[in-house]
Amino acid sequence: MAAAAVMVSSASALLAMLQEPAAELKLHALSNLNSLVHVFWPEISTSVPAIESLYEDEEFDQRQLAALVVSKVFYYLGELNDSLSYALGAGPLFDVSEDSDYANTLLARALDEYASIRSKASKATGEEEMMDPRLEVIVERMLDKCILDGKYQQAMGMAVECRRLDKLEEAITRSDNLHGALSYCINLSHQYVGHREYRCEILRCLVKIYQTLSDPDYLSICQCLMFLDEHETVANILYTLFSGGTDDTLLAYQIAFDLVENENQAFLLNVRNHLDTLCIPKSALPGAQTGNATDPSGDTQMGDDVDIMNGSPRVVDPIEEARADRLTKIRGILSGETSIQLTLQFLYSHNRSDLLILKTIKQALEMRNSVCHSATICSNAIMHAGTTVDTFLRENLEWLSRATNWAKFSATAGLGVIHRGHLQQGRALMAPYLPQGGAAGGGSPYSEGGALYALGLIHANHGEGITHFLRESLRNTSSEVVQHGACLGLGLAGLGTADEEIFEDIKNVLYTDSAVASEAAGIGLGLLMVGTATEKAGEMLAYAHDTQHEKIIRGLALGIALTVYGREEEADTLIEQMTRDQDPILRYGGMYALALAYRGTANNKAIHQLLHFAVSDVNDDVRRTAVLALGFVLYNEPEQTPRIVSLLSESYNPHVRYGAALAVGISCAGTGLNDAISLLEPLTSDVVDFVRQGALIAMAMVMIQTNESYDPRVGTFRRQLEKIVLDKHEDTMSKMGAILASGILDAGGRNVTIKLKSRSKHDKLTAVVGLAVFTQFWYWYPLTYFISLAFSPTAIIGLNSDLQMPKLEFLSNAKPSLFDYPKPTTQQTATATVKLPTAILSTYAKAKSRASKKDAEKAQEKAEAAEGKAEAPPSEDASTSMQVDGVAAEKKAPEPEPTFQILANPARVLPAQEKFIKFLESSRYEPVKGAPSGFVLLRDLRPEDAEELVLADTPSTVATNVSGAAAASPAVEEEPQPPQPFEYSP
Amino acid sequence: MDGELDEAIRKLAWLNFDCSRNELGSCVARLTELKILLTKFPSLPPTFQMTPNAVEELKFARVVYEFAVILSMEMKDQEAFERDLVQLKGFYMDTRGMIPPSPDEYPILGLNLMRLLAGNRIAEFHTELELLPLGALHHPCIKYAVELEQAFMEGTYRLINDRKAVPHESYRYFMDLLAETIRDEIADCSGQAYDHLPVNDAMEMLMFSSDQQLLEYISERQHEWEVQNCSVLFHMAKSQPRVGVHSFKLIKQSLCYAQELEQVV
Repeated sequence: MAAAAVMVSSASALLAMLQEPAAELKLHALSNLNSLVHVFWPEISTSVPAIESLYEDEEFDQRQLAALVVSKVFYYLGELNDSLSYALGAGPLFDVSEDSDYANTLLARALDEYASIRSKASKATGEEEMMDPRLEVIVERMLDKCILDGKYQQAMGMAVECRRLDKLEEAITRSDNLHGALSYCINLSHQYVGHREYRCEILRCLVKIYQTLSDPDYLSICQCLMFLDEHETVANILYTLFSGGTDDTLLAYQIAFDLVENENQAFLLNVRNHLDTLCIPKSALPGAQTGNATDPSGDTQMGDDVDIMNGSPRVVDPIEEARADRLTKIRGILSGETSIQLTLQFLYSHNRSDLLILKTIKQALEMRNSVCHSATICSNAIMHAGTTVDTFLRENLEWLSRATNWAKFSATAGLGVIHRGHLQQGRALMAPYLPQGGAAGGGSPYSEGGALYALGLIHANHGEGITHFLRESLRNTSSEVVQHGACLGLGLAGLGTADEEIFEDIKNVLYTDSAVASEAAGIGLGLLMVGTATEKAGEMLAYAHDTQHEKIIRGLALGIALTVYGREEEADTLIEQMTRDQDPILRYGGMYALALAYRGTANNKAIHQLLHFAVSDVNDDVRRTAVLALGFVLYNEPEQTPRIVSLLSESYNPHVRYGAALAVGISCAGTGLNDAISLLEPLTSDVVDFVRQGALIAMAMVMIQTNESYDPRVGTFRRQLEKIVLDKHEDTMSKMGAILASGILDAGGRNVTIKLKSRSKHDKLTAVVGLAVFTQFWYWYPLTYFISLAFSPTAIIGLNSDLQMPKLEFLSNAKPSLFDYPKPTTQQTATATVKLPTAILSTYAKAKSRASKKDAEKAQEKAEAAEGKAEAPPSEDASTSMQVDGVAAEKKAPEPEPTFQILANPARVLPAQEKFIKFLESSRYEPVKGAPSGFVLLRDLRPEDAEELVLADTPSTVATNVSGAAAASPAVEEEPQPPQPFEYSP
Repeated sequence: MDGELDEAIRKLAWLNFDCSRNELGSCVARLTELKILLTKFPSLPPTFQMTPNAVEELKFARVVYEFAVILSMEMKDQEAFERDLVQLKGFYMDTRGMIPPSPDEYPILGLNLMRLLAGNRIAEFHTELELLPLGALHHPCIKYAVELEQAFMEGTYRLINDRKAVPHESYRYFMDLLAETIRDEIADCSGQAYDHLPVNDAMEMLMFSSDQQLLEYISERQHEWEVQNCSVLFHMAKSQPRVGVHSFKLIKQSLCYAQELEQVV
């Protein structure tokens, strides 16, 4: 009936009723208003003061209802703050489960408010922020409701946001998929929690939950613990595991490998030492037992395990023995030696570097241009980084000998990059160049210094074996070039160890105030103290103010920046101090400090600050660095960077453009990101030479390991590089960029990528530091070699319980061509020449006329260009060529490419390929962890069968020969010495 | 439900009884009880549930509120009057078509118009007028109010005072109020128009029957007037020469706008 649709036309009657003296009438009016407020809020809004006074009336028993009505009116008026405060006044009447715009908006508001108060409160613990208990109640009700409804992820997210670890714990423990929830939380804490301390708290809480589980996921626990720097607990876990069965041992190995991947040298060292203290009393006096063996900090569960295990002492010597064996293995893994050795083996055996590229570059270069000359040497080093293959050097000894002075220093250091990770033989390899036992030995200081630097590169982050020697060399020399090399080498070898003695040694060099040596000392100190936030930074800063040498100031500025690596808020005072300095070089260091302290956090404040400096500083260097630093801050969200710097990349200031290019290069390194390439493309043909240089290098970093079938622009880029190198009129700067870029593009025998984050989302300290120092090549070319620290091999290596590689096959569910090696240039140049004929195929006559010109490719290109101009329909020419291309593609199509591929252990697996990798189900082995990447420990399902191992063509044996020859021959041409290295080879 | 309605009807009877005995205090108390009782009827606004005896209830509620309006007028409680009237209007406006119109509707609405007029709230008066249906204007009660307003606006105050014939007894109260309002209006104007007036003239103009009344009025309401030598001095009430409005400038501006507007078109 029509009457059913009757509605009141106005709320005035109800509002009038509110004025009635009788409380019942007021109540009636209020409750009706509450249900009608969505219609009549404009009318009610004029009477809000009246309702407010009802709320404030202590005697009125329905004050909360009044508050609710007022809150709703304010909500409709858009006054959310007032609305929220009245909603809080409404207490239980405010229904969190109500699915209305009003409730949702206010809840969001309440959560925001609560979260911001909580985070403020935790920041400034001194002054207690006023926390409205009613707000807390609402948030808690909300969280409880989420948990009850089974929306655990929401609950967890909210709990994290609101800093309510108790609720987080509750949500996790009550969720149906505990492991999923935990890993979700870990992700959450890494991705969205900006505050370091708080992240630690969350992780601690997670570890607590993990440990209460019956079947703890030790892999994840240890990752968390590593972030928390709780080496004792990790050591305990490892100890318990490898004291157990084979499966547990495998797990222990796997954990160790995963920890090593994060490259936290100091932490690993501590774990190892603690493991020793755990084991020694046990193996030495097994009878003494528990008392001191069980670590007091270890949780009880583990203690029990240890006890049980110790229940059968002595009698089972073989078990003890096995354990000792396992201990040495795990120590080997933790020291990084095992993984380095395996990686080395992989890189050596899978080396697919293309010497032809180098040869082309070498031939194209002018004789006297030393910049390009050393760039080529560097490019070679990068291309062969870690492969131990130095064929190119051996074949071009005479050409190599053109390097003099600092170029010689670089060339020698390059050997270090090539042999990176060759821990055992490193010193033997470099022996011909090293300072000879205190005596001058006739060696050039440049090659000596370079060799020390090379040793540092070889042992980067794993310097135990070599630091002693390096310190000796540092003390025994007075040549500043050698000091320079030794400081860098020591810094690299002792990366992040904060070793007091080394610190003193390097500091002594610093105080000699010689520009060359002290600069390196500044950087070396920084490397040594990476991420320690040491107070010595103040000392360094003071010296930077004292000294007159720009070089020293710059070295120190970078060094200071390195010390605050990853400290986030803790570094703010220092950053403030540096960025406010009068001296542009220190401000420039401040930019690096910002970059490194907030590396990979995408912290808004840091980004804001950097952008501010990028546009407002008076000094070009500072502006360039500020933009560049954005790359470091943003590398955890590579998709963001091109967007953020896109405007800067069009700046009028070439320094800013350069910075933008490198920022994209750093943060998008190894991703092959479409946006990044689009941004860099125009910059590679910038009008200013050094912008081109930066863009080329950045482009190479982005495109590393992508091939043409993945992104066709890679091919274009390769051709562009070739063109720049071959072009006689190109500027030296961009030529050098192109040479380096071709090196980076094919780095490490095409088996490495640049990765700043490990698979477990931790930052790779070495890689970040390496890239940061690498960007210094602007001032000092030898620092280019630091890029080798950022390389990580893209391999999947399966290992059995003896840490050997069994024969095994993986399935890659993707087209082989997608992730294949790029075609070697022998073909590439061929395709370049063949490509032209394909274009002509359609018009046969033209082909003939051109065939005569086929002798020189360059001439042909020119000719074609000329033809293009001369001929009437050049577009037709292009179209035919495209047609032909199309035909070629079609031709390819009929023979369908398989959609999968079988890879043999160890296999090259690109990061993008990882998701396609499967273990064959019928296989004999089963992986310990799920993710198929890096080192994977394999559980043997048929242990009774004899294992078939991969025949490792270990570089150690071959390399001795190679290196022997290599070491000998440059030695011969540089310093006519007897071929000493043969004494070292076994 | 029926029980409640019955109870309510009983209460109304009591109320009528009390009222007839002029016991206003108990009337108010009973009325409040009734109103509370009314809130329990779901068929009343704003819910309008279609209960079986919705029509009865609506009618009854309307009667109660009509009664409340009259009562509050008798009590000379303007606030209560306004409150009850606004609620009553809800019934008049929203229940059209559901229940037959009340016989008292126009008298009461006319009463409201009178109230607004007496309070010199001309704008609201017209708003109310606009809300009335066209036919209502012919109702004597409404018509009376409208004519009064016209006279009031024209300034033919005597005409108003001459109208002794009211359409409804209850209008008297407001007529008296209106007379007060008119007096104030005249007083205002004479303050502006004259420097001084002889007391007799002033008395006549302000419609007082004796000097005494005039003097009382002056001492109560017009503190700025003075009585000297048998004449009333208004000089104190004179406002300062107006400085705010620059009429010439405004006129000039408007003309300018008009000219420009013409050019635009």
